[in-house]
Amino acid sequence: MRKVSIGIVLTAALLVGCFCGILLFFFGYAGPVMDAAGRYASRAVAETGAVNLVSAIYLNYRLFDTLFEILVFSVAVLGVRFYLVGRGKEEAVERIPESQVVRTSADLLFPLILLLGAYLAVFGHLSPGGGFSGGVVAGSGLLLCAVALGAQAIARRFHEAAFERLEWVILLAILLLAVFPIVFGRLPLSDLLPRGRMGSMMSGGSILIYNLLIGFKVFIGTWVIIYYFLRHRGEI
Amino acid sequence: MVQTALLALLPLIAVFALSQRRRLAAIIGMGLLSLVLAGVYLLSHAPDVAITEVAIGAALVTFVYVLAIRKTGRLVVVSDEVPGLLCREGASLIGLEHEILTGFARHLGLDLAVRFLPSAEVQGALIRGEADIGAGGIVGTDDDRFLSTPGHLPTALFHIALADVEAPPSSKQRQEGYFSDVLEAVRAGERRAYTLDLARFVALSRLNLSEYTVARLEGSPSYTFLLAPDRQTLYHQFVAYLDRLKESKELARMIQRYFP
Repeated sequence: MRKVSIGIVLTAALLVGCFCGILLFFFGYAGPVMDAAGRYASRAVAETGAVNLVSAIYLNYRLFDTLFEILVFSVAVLGVRFYLVGRGKEEAVERIPESQVVRTSADLLFPLILLLGAYLAVFGHLSPGGGFSGGVVAGSGLLLCAVALGAQAIARRFHEAAFERLEWVILLAILLLAVFPIVFGRLPLSDLLPRGRMGSMMSGGSILIYNLLIGFKVFIGTWVIIYYFLRHRGEI
Repeated sequence: MVQTALLALLPLIAVFALSQRRRLAAIIGMGLLSLVLAGVYLLSHAPDVAITEVAIGAALVTFVYVLAIRKTGRLVVVSDEVPGLLCREGASLIGLEHEILTGFARHLGLDLAVRFLPSAEVQGALIRGEADIGAGGIVGTDDDRFLSTPGHLPTALFHIALADVEAPPSSKQRQEGYFSDVLEAVRAGERRAYTLDLARFVALSRLNLSEYTVARLEGSPSYTFLLAPDRQTLYHQFVAYLDRLKESKELARMIQRYFP
């Protein structure tokens, strides 16, 4: 067995100790902060205009957290690209064609899945869903096509370097949108657009725009993950 | 009620996924866990989480894992096609060595993948690391560039040649191309000389060999499997597996089935 240095063991023990300490001493903490949940539940719809409470929380009250989650996803996509490109390409293996059943059902299902993904993203502030899940659902539609037709076949039509760069442009747009309220003398991350009529399409302030941007970004990110895995680990 | 049932199902599926030896089955189990978990979320009035769980856990993560085990989850065997030992029958593979290798792959929790190569190219594929095990009627040699397992089936070498072909009988297996090419060549009456092992010779002797002179070579060789010299761990696992097959008389039963 490899010897593990004492420093690492001590650091790990310290971290675990701190974590347990936090759990022990602060778990029962019920200060004013804990009221947030009740406040969100009772007033979120009126304050943000979004009927979907979950969206109201993570794209309005907790937008700051969400920005970093988007950043985490971007870094994950970047990591997949970085490490897989370093591995070199898989030698081209002749694909065994999928059965007619798989190909036909992929053809039939792909537009529906794409539509579902778009719906989840666009109606994220009204019904369950949101940019992230919508983007991943649409991306898994591409995965289905990649399984049925082969990634290269889709990539020829679809994969452009510009497309990949677009992901980072969208990330920039999301960050700018978050900072934009400063121009109007408001705090960053605050909402600029009108609340709208409750339950209508144009309600919930900026949430709709955030959902669209995040959905598109995650869609591209999911495709990048699928594409690079297929290109550097070989077809399924 | 349904929620309780799904919750009770979760640990069962988790144990199922963990207890699988085949990696692909374990990954499918994980995808199933995600799916059931999404159902639990849905029934707990968290449809947002359920949608994300299905899209990420059941679709994307499963896909990434399937690609990740593509290399590590397979036991790649290179082999020539030899009747009785390893050959195609319809869409499936049969033969003594195929059965041994399938059992060994299952023992390791891997999926067996057989690539057919002319027997002259098997060694090269092993050296280049393109395959784990070389099989297909390899007669034990004293070639120390490879790890060869103790013989699993006694055999003999035959030298066949047309009467007027000048070719000194060699003690090594010698054959260009696939064995099926040899069969074709003999059927077409092309003038060549071959040194073949017992299984190939038996397959060949169904053809008309009256024009050939047949000589059985000295010695009592046996069939082995070849491994690249840097695959010590796999080699020891394989030898231990073969020993167990021999001890439990399972190997004898297999041989009886293929070579009565």
